[in-house]
Amino acid sequence: MNRALIFIEQNNERLAPELLAVADQIHGPQPFETYAVVINGDVGSLVGQFDTVISVEDEALQAHDQMALADVVAGLHAEHQFDSIVVAATAAGKMLAPRVAMKINCGLVADVTEISRQNDKLRLVRPAYGGRMMAAIEMQGDGPVMLTVRPGVFRGPGEQHHKATQVIEPKGLRYRLGGIRQIKRESKQLSYDIREADVLVSGGGGVARGFELLEPLAKALGGKVAASRAIVDRGLISRSVQVGQSGKTVSPRLYLALGIHGAIQHVVALDEVEYIISVNTNPDAPICSLSDIVVEGDAVIFVEKLLEKIREEQINANN
Amino acid sequence: MKLVCVVKFVPDVDRFEYDHEKHVLIREGSRMMINPDDGCAIGFALEMKKRNPEIFIEVLTMAPASVVPLVEDILRVGVDQGTIISDRSYAGSDSWVTSRILGRYLATTEYDCILTGSQAIDGDTSHVPPQLGEILGLGQISGITKVEEDSFGSESAVVEVDDEEAVTTYELNLPAILSFSRKSKCRLPHVRFKDRKKDVTDRIKVLSNDELGFAKGEVGLKGSLTKVAKAYTRKYESGAQLRVAADDNGVETVLKFLKEKRFL
Repeated sequence: MNRALIFIEQNNERLAPELLAVADQIHGPQPFETYAVVINGDVGSLVGQFDTVISVEDEALQAHDQMALADVVAGLHAEHQFDSIVVAATAAGKMLAPRVAMKINCGLVADVTEISRQNDKLRLVRPAYGGRMMAAIEMQGDGPVMLTVRPGVFRGPGEQHHKATQVIEPKGLRYRLGGIRQIKRESKQLSYDIREADVLVSGGGGVARGFELLEPLAKALGGKVAASRAIVDRGLISRSVQVGQSGKTVSPRLYLALGIHGAIQHVVALDEVEYIISVNTNPDAPICSLSDIVVEGDAVIFVEKLLEKIREEQINANN
Repeated sequence: MKLVCVVKFVPDVDRFEYDHEKHVLIREGSRMMINPDDGCAIGFALEMKKRNPEIFIEVLTMAPASVVPLVEDILRVGVDQGTIISDRSYAGSDSWVTSRILGRYLATTEYDCILTGSQAIDGDTSHVPPQLGEILGLGQISGITKVEEDSFGSESAVVEVDDEEAVTTYELNLPAILSFSRKSKCRLPHVRFKDRKKDVTDRIKVLSNDELGFAKGEVGLKGSLTKVAKAYTRKYESGAQLRVAADDNGVETVLKFLKEKRFL
């Protein structure tokens, strides 16, 4: 039977369902066994999701030492001969996967957004040229199918059959140390996660002069503020709320695109959005063609008017 | 001390055009430029050289011969040597093959530290720096926003990675591969007016497969483990649409919609 290996990064155990969904799409209707490898991570949260969890507990294996981790993963591949290897495209995953691919002589496709088949050949689709183009990649050679996917791009199944998981703890793993030490880590105040919001009030270059107006509007709609790169690059808000190829992929029910042009590298990150309302001085901006409602005009003035109207109605309702 | 900056020249993607009928990139007139992250790596090397003029900087790239003028400009701002790996048979190489080609050259040259960018704006895979790390048996770290200049010696380097989650400081044993982010403050300087025609040809070395000696099937499209089967721009369908102006009527329409869908 085919075997799929999912690399589970320490503290990113929550990504397991979406990475499993990727393996599902790769193997299609063929039966396959699922393996997770987790290094010094939370095994308990993975039990029930995988056929086998390979749990490596070793203090010398540091999460930032990709040379050592790659040796471990390649060693496991030599033993189990996986048919696919899936890694989350986090900062660490993007350094780990290329090393593993080089070690096991396997092609690697980064940031896959879609998986399809053409004449029985697997096609892994990924953005290129900053998201302006999509490239469908086929694998050549004998190695496993290896890919990275960004968190939030694939979706895990809602309800899952509980599996009888076998946990194995391999001993005597061989690895080199990469000569990297973490000296200090200052976590940033974690802001909200735009990937979890039902409503996103998102601003682009067209609202730069009145960006602070988005917050009260988001509040009124029970949503969160997001932004395009144009706003983030101006330093008006943290990069953690950027929607787009170089930011996050989002799936809110409502996306309010205020003064956002909607170049392909932005809209590529709008995944299964139920409704889009765009406000733009240019009715031919690409975002408008995707929108349910297009408001032609200045987004700052529009937001001011809309907020005023909402407040009026709230006051009337309270009286 | 010798620093090797491994860089890529990329099309200026902001001026990128696509022929929707023929499904090809329009390359004519598209300007090549140094990949922004990679420019930061050279910028850092030059900063270090300013502090210590004994530092020797080599810039290494795999590219068509047409990049020679761009490499010349990099030599005109203070880089000591430019090495261009250029061979027709290398065209179409994926990141795995590219890393093997660059790695074969680097294995024959001396260095105390390798500097690269983290991510190229065209391919955008970020594969080559970690893969070079694997081939050369070196530690590597991507997304570097700062290197503590005082700490940068022959033994180790202290670097900072500032991403959306945290600011993390690492110490790496050298030699290692330090991959810069364009968020770092290091910049590739412009050529000074008086240097714009300076003859630097004797500092450029062009290598082909004659020197590197790969078998035909090992490089280019044939040797690659991944292949672009199709490239396309994504088309988005538009549904039934309401178009209004940003006046009172427009506000009413949006408000009504928000209420109907229970957002308000």
